[in-house]
Amino acid sequence: MSGSEGMRGSGEPDVSAQPLAGRTAIVTGAGQGVGEGIARALAAGGANVVVAARREETGEPVAEAIRDRGQNAACIVTDVTRRESMAHCIDETVAQFGSLEIMVHNAFRGGTPHRLEELSQELWEQNSRTAVWGSYYSAVLAFPHLRAAGSRGRLILITSPSGVEGSVNIPIYSPVKAAQRAMAKSLSREWGEHGITVNCIAPVAETPALVSAFERNPVLKERIEARTSLGRIGDPERDIGSVARFLASDDAGYVTGQTIVCDGGSFMGL
Amino acid sequence: MVTGAERPLAAGLAQALSTAGAVVVEVSSDDVHSRTSAETAFTAAAATLGGPVDIVVHAAIPEIAFETIDFDQVDDARWEAVWEATMGAAIQVLQLGFEQMRGRGGRFVFVTPTVSMSGAARLVPYTTAIEGIRLLAKSAARQWGPDGITVNCLAPAPEHFPIGVASIDVSLAPPALGGPGDAALDLGPVAVFLASDASHALTGATLCADGGVWMAP
Repeated sequence: MSGSEGMRGSGEPDVSAQPLAGRTAIVTGAGQGVGEGIARALAAGGANVVVAARREETGEPVAEAIRDRGQNAACIVTDVTRRESMAHCIDETVAQFGSLEIMVHNAFRGGTPHRLEELSQELWEQNSRTAVWGSYYSAVLAFPHLRAAGSRGRLILITSPSGVEGSVNIPIYSPVKAAQRAMAKSLSREWGEHGITVNCIAPVAETPALVSAFERNPVLKERIEARTSLGRIGDPERDIGSVARFLASDDAGYVTGQTIVCDGGSFMGL
Repeated sequence: MVTGAERPLAAGLAQALSTAGAVVVEVSSDDVHSRTSAETAFTAAAATLGGPVDIVVHAAIPEIAFETIDFDQVDDARWEAVWEATMGAAIQVLQLGFEQMRGRGGRFVFVTPTVSMSGAARLVPYTTAIEGIRLLAKSAARQWGPDGITVNCLAPAPEHFPIGVASIDVSLAPPALGGPGDAALDLGPVAVFLASDASHALTGATLCADGGVWMAP
């Protein structure tokens, strides 16, 4: 093991640990990047995982890769910006696996750099509809099932360090990501009586979106790495998925209303 | 310009700004609700002031936002009316204010009650929208700093607005200073500071003036 591997463990998920056995999770935006990493990690933890993706071409291969590992997964094509599509995803999940304990909303679209004074309605709607309306639909439509799951009920929203710091390059990204944090805090207070926990993860991970940004701007990778204490950019499954698996498990049953920043030790303002 | 001035808090801030020497134009939450009405409000303000607006204090929010409601009773119409309308108005006010401040500098002060940071049961739409505004201010602060424009938030106690006090976090400590304070006399000076030259080195900040309840970070 090289020095930079540090405390990362063996690099392979510990499939012997099944903290989520018998539970079912939906992960939106799981066709790639952080969502895919979370889907893989939850499945490795024993959960039945629904890969909710906008396009079957991206979602199905992820579900298949999970099944190839001998774990349970299905792809359900889902548009998180449409109530009926989210309702269908949740109904179909419960029909297929019998329950829904873990709802993870990760899907996002709209990271185009812009100036606030020139913000277009289209870019605003991409941000608002995927991040905030998607969180609202995830929460409100999953609620009956999470309530039935009681102390195993989990809502996890994927936010961003930008939702705390603000952003000079993609300014409208920050408010929609901050909105998710406020929603998690208020919902954690409201749903505490049912035993449901609501938390956020704010990741920085090597996703296809980030990789293509690096291709456009090679200095960006060095700059992000230099900002992190650990000197590297997170892996979607090992570094972010593992945290989602912890939050989804009984081990995190007393953690609610929180944001866990998983960015290698860059932003430390919480 | 002070938006949301139909309510006592914004009216108190307007009064303090006026006492401090500013010429103040007060507009209601309805006045900045649509793009057209917001444009009219800014044009009228500039005409009244005899020149562009230097300071925008934004406290406008639709009345429905204050209604306490179980989250599973929230429907799309309410989410649209609280989240989308609150953000829409804030973005418009920022953009229209920026047009008047561009090349000359200026001050934005967003009123963001502390409840968005603490969270509150049965106030999910409201707290979601307020936190959206608070980070919109930070992003604007980062982009418009080079233009000499500062964007800050003034966070009063939620009791300044007509929300159900019972829904406010019971785990929080009582106010160190005894209460939420008076709009004009206690919060007014903080708004005046954020609107004045004295705060020129401060941007993207949230000043909590809630009598000493919320103390994070």
